[in-house]
Amino acid sequence: MSMERFKDIKVLEGYGVKLRRLTEDKIELVRKWRNDPKIQQYMEYREYITPEMQKAWFKKIDNDNNFYFIIEYEGKEIGLIDIKNVDYEKSEGEPGIFIWDDSCLELDVPFRASFCMGDFICNVLKIKNNYIHILRDNKRAITYNKGLGYELADGQENVENQKYISNPDKAKKFREKVIKYLLK
Amino acid sequence: MKMDIQNFIGKFAEQFETTNASEIKATTEFKKLGEWSSLIALSVIAMIDEEYDVTLKGNDIRNANTIEDLFNVVKSKK
Repeated sequence: MSMERFKDIKVLEGYGVKLRRLTEDKIELVRKWRNDPKIQQYMEYREYITPEMQKAWFKKIDNDNNFYFIIEYEGKEIGLIDIKNVDYEKSEGEPGIFIWDDSCLELDVPFRASFCMGDFICNVLKIKNNYIHILRDNKRAITYNKGLGYELADGQENVENQKYISNPDKAKKFREKVIKYLLK
Repeated sequence: MKMDIQNFIGKFAEQFETTNASEIKATTEFKKLGEWSSLIALSVIAMIDEEYDVTLKGNDIRNANTIEDLFNVVKSKK
């Protein structure tokens, strides 16, 4: 996977996708995606996001503890992938993804983006302890992330926005099954 | 590997964890199976790549309705 120097990461490339670091000129596109009910319904924060709120959010996340990338596949911008709240001392962070383009939703493209991002998280940021949150009725995301090796954390059964933690052995099993195809 | 539909169905069924094998036959509309997901789709695509040396595209899965349809697509690409 090719990439620029860590502090000036602009593009990640691998597994047939490009991940372009979010810049201010693209935050309106992300805001449009994020406010669409098909995306919004699966987020913890489900209120309407104004341009001002989006600018304030971008100022807050444009640093070395948050990495947001626009997913580019076959020349089209199809979604957003990220790791936020990176704590280098605890070696932990919270990945996330949403796919805007419905034609890419049910097949291999999200996994391509996740694997590309996963290499960055593991090999560049050196983060070992990933955790995510999924709304309990988001069956698609639960299945997807279980495939990536995430397991429900203890005490989360009755929580609305459930925490999952990464199991590296489970992640390895699925990766080994599909990696040869994804690298073609 | 020789293109035999029963063998293909068997390999296809192996990608599922909770679906009863009796539900997986040539006429099964696989995208309507309860367990079908992007995870299973990718596992199927990877299996076909590994076992039959055939690389499927997203449209190949989208355009196929039954397992037999998918088998025929794979066979046509051999």
